[in-house]
Amino acid sequence: MITDILFSALVMTTPLILAALGGLIHRSSGIVNVGLDGMMLLGALVAIIIASGGNWAVALVGAGLAGGVTGWLMTLGITRLRANEIIVGLGLNIAIAGAIRFYLKAAYGSSGNLRLPDVSRLPKIDLPLPGALGAVFSGHSILTWIAWALVPLTAWVLSRTALGLRLRACGTSAASAAAIGLNPMRMREGAGFVAGLLSGLAGAYLSIGVVGLFNEGITGGRGFIALAAFYFGANRPWATAACALLFGIFDAVQIRLQGRGFPAELIQTLPYIMVCVVLLLLGLAARRRAQGKAAYHG
Amino acid sequence: MSEINGADAAGGPRLGGVGLSKSFGTLKANDHIDFAARRGTIHAIVGGNGAGKSTLMKILQGLQAPDAGTVLVNGAPVVFRSPNDAIRVGIGMVHQEFTLIPGLTLLENLILGDEPRRAFGAIDRPVAEARAAELAELAGVRIDWNLLEEEAPVHMRQAVEILRLIYRGADVLILDEPTAVLAPPQIRELLALMVNLRDKGNTILFISHKLDEVLAVADEVTVLRAGRVVVSRPAAGLDKAELARLMTGEPVTAPTAKPATPGAAVLELDGLGTGGEGAVALDDFSLVLREGEIVGIAGVAGNGQDEIVGLVSGLMPAVRGSLRLSGQDITRLSTHDRRALGLAYLSPDRKQEGLCLDASIADNLIASHQHKPRFGKAGFLSPAAIASYADERVATFDIKCASPHQPVGALSGGNQQKVAMARELYDSPRILLACQPTRGVDIKGIAAIHQEILAFRDAGGAVLLVSEELEELVQLSDRIVTIYGGRRTGEFPRGAAAMERIGRTMLGEVAA
Amino acid sequence: MKYLQSALTILFPVAIVLVIGAAVLLAAGYNPLAVYADLMTEAFGGQRRLAASLSAATPLIFTGLAAAVAFRVGVFTVGAEGSLYVGALMAAWLGFTLTGLNGWLLAPLCLLAGAAAGLVWMLPPGLMKARLGIDEIVTTLMLNFIAIGLTTWLVNGPLLAPGAANSSTPQVADAARLTRLMPPSTLTTGFLIAVALLVAYAIWQRRRIGGYETLVGGLAPRFARASGIDMPGLMLRMLLVSGAIAGLGGAIQVLGPIGRFVAGFSTGYGFTGIAVAILARGNPLGILIGAVLFGGLSTAGATIQLFSDVPIEIVNILQGLIMIFAVADFGLRGWFARRTARQTAAEGSQP
Repeated sequence: MITDILFSALVMTTPLILAALGGLIHRSSGIVNVGLDGMMLLGALVAIIIASGGNWAVALVGAGLAGGVTGWLMTLGITRLRANEIIVGLGLNIAIAGAIRFYLKAAYGSSGNLRLPDVSRLPKIDLPLPGALGAVFSGHSILTWIAWALVPLTAWVLSRTALGLRLRACGTSAASAAAIGLNPMRMREGAGFVAGLLSGLAGAYLSIGVVGLFNEGITGGRGFIALAAFYFGANRPWATAACALLFGIFDAVQIRLQGRGFPAELIQTLPYIMVCVVLLLLGLAARRRAQGKAAYHG
Repeated sequence: MSEINGADAAGGPRLGGVGLSKSFGTLKANDHIDFAARRGTIHAIVGGNGAGKSTLMKILQGLQAPDAGTVLVNGAPVVFRSPNDAIRVGIGMVHQEFTLIPGLTLLENLILGDEPRRAFGAIDRPVAEARAAELAELAGVRIDWNLLEEEAPVHMRQAVEILRLIYRGADVLILDEPTAVLAPPQIRELLALMVNLRDKGNTILFISHKLDEVLAVADEVTVLRAGRVVVSRPAAGLDKAELARLMTGEPVTAPTAKPATPGAAVLELDGLGTGGEGAVALDDFSLVLREGEIVGIAGVAGNGQDEIVGLVSGLMPAVRGSLRLSGQDITRLSTHDRRALGLAYLSPDRKQEGLCLDASIADNLIASHQHKPRFGKAGFLSPAAIASYADERVATFDIKCASPHQPVGALSGGNQQKVAMARELYDSPRILLACQPTRGVDIKGIAAIHQEILAFRDAGGAVLLVSEELEELVQLSDRIVTIYGGRRTGEFPRGAAAMERIGRTMLGEVAA
Repeated sequence: MKYLQSALTILFPVAIVLVIGAAVLLAAGYNPLAVYADLMTEAFGGQRRLAASLSAATPLIFTGLAAAVAFRVGVFTVGAEGSLYVGALMAAWLGFTLTGLNGWLLAPLCLLAGAAAGLVWMLPPGLMKARLGIDEIVTTLMLNFIAIGLTTWLVNGPLLAPGAANSSTPQVADAARLTRLMPPSTLTTGFLIAVALLVAYAIWQRRRIGGYETLVGGLAPRFARASGIDMPGLMLRMLLVSGAIAGLGGAIQVLGPIGRFVAGFSTGYGFTGIAVAILARGNPLGILIGAVLFGGLSTAGATIQLFSDVPIEIVNILQGLIMIFAVADFGLRGWFARRTARQTAAEGSQP
């Protein structure tokens, strides 16, 4: 029972980590990406179409590219046309959901669902681990392990490489970064591509990794939970992954306990409540700092 | 790194200009400026606000193109299209607003944009640290490179701002008021750093209006006033009084105002103090302002004027002390309540705070009066009442506009200020807090605004005048109070206010 | 010049979106002109269709207005969706609980309670914004999801209609239902309330002190502060008003077309409202036109499916794209802004 929950928690965590890391990178460059959910949905669809009678690896590339290009285009609107990032993200989600349903109807005559033959599923990795360890960690898809490997990689790139340094600089102070010759707009657009790429992969994980089919509600708002994860993780990769894991556990528990009078819908709001609480605590801390400073100098 | 390290100190001209001119409309910000900073020297550029320093710096840095004249690098004419062009020939600038990035360590800030690298784009930390240590030693300062920008003390950040330019290959350092945010011991440290860097062959353009500091380190001085070079000469042999006279000029017109007939006290400031970083806050400031008089506050920018303005207007909370308006304690009252008691506030920042440039002239004229019965009742505004009021104000104050529905942003600087004056003087306020009332206004506009201020006083109004134009202060004020470092340093009645003595107390000397 | 400018800033994004939509339709093998023409006839051709469009426009007027009043003072809320849900649930709960009350009392009571619930929902982000300066965009976005989760839980458990399998409350009392204006259309007096609110907004905007203070506060916050306007307080008030308007909109959906609270009843009214408000740039007539346009598109999309195979989702695509392009700056405004800036700079004010 508990091992089952932990196993499915890891399953639920995978798309969250992928999308949250993408959002984290985009945020580090200075943009709050609210369109993760839409890009995830797009990735899920593209992946299953390519994987049907095709190859899962190609499907991953396709899903990643589709998400990446969308993320890049979205960021172009924000950087070059100075559009508000939140509104663009929300609009993008609506437009992508509409476009996908339009496409499903126009191309397959189906409403919201897509079941295709011969879907090449993501391979699962069996680990020779004993007992409970095996039950929790064995049998996960390759993308799960890639997702976890991306956590230290992201942390390393952000903190230890020139690219990461420049990305953070552009995110914190675009004007100062531009003054020393960096190009914050291009940095943000690049980060937007990465955010879309990882969200696309997250979507592919859901469609060709978990269920093997597509429906329009497949993301279940996970793009927004990913948003909560990197907010709650204060943009630190490990903290963000830990939050994603926590939300994954909520998800697994809630699925398991569904229909037993358990308030599943309330559990689902926890990530969002936590974001508000974090923002409140940060605000209170900032005020205390400001007051402390005044008192010190006064 | 500087190519001429330790070489011919005090050599030929490194950076200069001939006939540099730049106008904004009718205002000549730079008017045929000639100067030359020689290699391996500290060259001070001094002048009051609006003297043209910032425009000149923008030209030298490639942020603005001159209308006429040429920038000279190593004696040869160059054209800068961007700050990158300037840095390419070794010219870098430290702005008054710091450009270090929070969330990054000082080391990361130093190397940003030109990071020593290893495989996979990883930062080569040992190399970076060695370079940082080398630079700190060169400058003779101690820097904790692993501090985050927001944790580092202000003088350390300042030093990194400067060292970063050298790291990026500059040997000409333009420092814009670098001591403005520092406390005295930190200032001494910074001046020592500048001397160190000069001795290593760097050229420093030191922009300042703190004359002590200029005289302490500068080899040569160029004084600007009203966009022109007053003098450009070696610093040796200059004393503070002479420099202050060159900077502020002599009053060109004799004070024309009638003598004041001060009445009852309307505004009493008692022991006011406020917090702030460095040594620029206000400390134990007291003042009594009476009906029918103009009290001027004289001081070099950043010595506590902003705090006085903030505390009197109610936009800044007082940490210590109290304010009374006609005997009533207003220390904790909001701006709105103070205005209701008869305070009028002419903001020094016309574009952001004094006016709403995108709104119409009429909308700007009723601001702060919108609740008054004349403009409507029960929370409704009457367009007819507003229109007649606006027409009346436009006529009385001779505001040149096509219609009161025009956005204020379309007016000239002088007419914009008249709109602000017309609003603030409406409905007989008791006190006018007038800050930089003629900044960016042409000569005709200045005369009109001065007339209004004097007329207000003659009608029994009390004026607290904060200005960086000493000439304006001397012309208008019945008393001048000088401040330095957030403290009151002297008080001069009208007539007795010899410019030179005021100048000295503005620079920290306490009047007997 | 001013009118030309506002017309351009509104029409340009719409034109771009229509072109993209046409490309999508072409790619899918439809004739875009024919589809657009069909959409227009289905939306506005004839009394019955017009009534359906106005009915669909009603919630969008509320959410559009809710966004506009907050945007006006520079508060960038995206929380209308959440307030709409809590307002709707509150109205439904009173509507099926206080069945003994007479209609003249019950309906207004439900509407007021809906508005109050929507208002209270905006209290936390409002206080966080006013007191601590916490960015309202993220908090209001999060509160939307919380509102959806909370209301869904309530109607799946405590408030579930007995015997009902789907997530909804019992029907509200007939006495609480709003009068239908043109039966069988779902157009109710709710639409009249919406229009009345728009008129009130138009008057408030031009004639009330609050309209003036929000105008200058939104354009120049420091100026507003210096003239004695309590900006944090004003921002809080406008966010609460925004929540109340959206909550009222939710209540009207419940007492009007739906008759009870159904989980997830909103098809993103709050978000479409943002698009409406931005497109209209806060102009009351613009909000009405925008809401009717979006409302018309969605009903037309639904009926057009009955006789042709054009997927209704083209409407969602257009909606999302309009949201994106309405906030984009195509240099039109930029051009005018630059011109003003040049004029101002020419008058010679130096930093």
